[in-house]
Amino acid sequence: MVLCAGALFVASVASTHIAGQTVAPTSRAYSPPRTAFGQPDLQGVWQVVNTAAWDIQDHSGQRFPGLPARFSVPAGQGVVEGNEIPYQPWALARKQENYKSRLTADPEASCYLPGVPRITYMPYPFQIFQFPDRVVILYEYLHATREIFTDGSRHPDIPVEFWLGDSRGRWEGNTLVVDVTLFTAETWFDRAGNFHSDALHVVERYTRTGTDHLLYEATIEDPKVFTRPWKIRMPVYRRQEPNSQLLEYECYAYAREETDAAAK
Amino acid sequence: MRPPSEGARRAAWWIAVASLLSAVPFLLTVTAQAQAGCPGESGLFHPCALARAKTYRPPRTADGKPNLQGFWRGPASGTENVEEHPMTDDDNGGKSLIVDPADGKIPYQPWAAALQKENRAKYVEPNVPCFPSGVPRSMYVPTQIEILQSPGNVLVLFERAHTYRIIPTSVRPHAGANIGLWMGDSRGRWDGNTLVVDVTNHNAKTWFDQVGNFHSSAAHMVERFTLVDPDTIHYQVRIEDPSVYTGPWTMAFPLRRNKEKGFRLLEEACHEGERNTDPLIRAGQRIYPGVPERK
Repeated sequence: MVLCAGALFVASVASTHIAGQTVAPTSRAYSPPRTAFGQPDLQGVWQVVNTAAWDIQDHSGQRFPGLPARFSVPAGQGVVEGNEIPYQPWALARKQENYKSRLTADPEASCYLPGVPRITYMPYPFQIFQFPDRVVILYEYLHATREIFTDGSRHPDIPVEFWLGDSRGRWEGNTLVVDVTLFTAETWFDRAGNFHSDALHVVERYTRTGTDHLLYEATIEDPKVFTRPWKIRMPVYRRQEPNSQLLEYECYAYAREETDAAAK
Repeated sequence: MRPPSEGARRAAWWIAVASLLSAVPFLLTVTAQAQAGCPGESGLFHPCALARAKTYRPPRTADGKPNLQGFWRGPASGTENVEEHPMTDDDNGGKSLIVDPADGKIPYQPWAAALQKENRAKYVEPNVPCFPSGVPRSMYVPTQIEILQSPGNVLVLFERAHTYRIIPTSVRPHAGANIGLWMGDSRGRWDGNTLVVDVTNHNAKTWFDQVGNFHSSAAHMVERFTLVDPDTIHYQVRIEDPSVYTGPWTMAFPLRRNKEKGFRLLEEACHEGERNTDPLIRAGQRIYPGVPERK
């Protein structure tokens, strides 16, 4: 009975999350290699190739106000399913204000931890490691670290906030499903001012679709800001360089050097 | 310790409470281990642990490597000063972590000894703005350390400023020599029961401690991690930097296991809550620019 209930739960979650999507059949047909302890093997150095870091929605090429022309925004196709983010009216107004003041108001401008899912599509690599009871994702950006517990444990039931949330994972077929909650309200989704509140709840799905590709999907729910849950989806590519490894991008250290230079 | 402290915690009040509570079993554990195992002071620990390493058979991972996994802590006094230093209003004091040379002092060349004094007076201590602590300081900065092993890699995760080290244990060359990194570039191999890690590619913007002890970007470090009892790692690092020191020198100290059930690393969003650096810069201190190799 417990198993049945679990299967029903998984099925209902799956149908909720997949409804309305067009997922290439090959992404589900691929049979990934397994780790020594039997999980689908997602390990390696990965990076997205898209413009979501600038704007997760469709956008034209444009100057980024306040930056030299060479730091302009390339035109890009969005990663939001249907392209619309279902903001509540007040929240849409707030997003537009964020957009106007994005040069300084974006938490990335202060080199803060960028939250989830944004950390996934920052334009820097990340590396996945798997263990029987957890998945560890290390990001080049800021040495950000996520431990995703897959041991059946639950989110802590205490009033706490994390910049990268609290991540609890489970394996659903070949997919790693990660439930992320307990976020701060201080991160954005992109450099275009898309934002959330502390009620953010993200469900990520990581699926190998081939030797060198992952499909990354995230369902975003925040009843304080949006009228309904919405989804993003993007492929993630394995870094092909034989010597690929994470290096470092300590953004805030450069911010300090800038303050220092200004004080001289 | 010299104020301001290692960086402000951004998380909510309960983390502080949880940390205080979590320290209790940890301190009890350490006390019990100190009675059963080698003493903690480097000069006594080093020979004792090396002797034990000859006979101790460590548990193994599924792929047959010595199992170093778990939560660990190094000696926090090192971050005040790796050399012997007294208890003061700012420091808890402690013995030297240096086991070679025997006097427990860093064998600076004269210019470098002068620069160390200048560092302390002139620059913001690099841990204040939450910069990564570098190697080896990350191993004794007051924080929780988690070691994880997967085939071909050893991960060392540090709660402090959510920094990490990835140590590949398959044979591969270091990153290009012109790539300087806060945490250096680590390459590991297993030598019997010991994880040996070769560390190069330092950006040299980190210090060994709060008093400005330093190395250049040419520093070459060789670390050795050896379990000497179920709850103690003998950690040793040999530091070579011919333009800064008169010869190689070595630190050694215990990493003690934190056995608290259900323990996990929390997110220390250090930079996000850090408010001490700007006042120091306004007061005339500078950001440490690092020391290139002197040729």
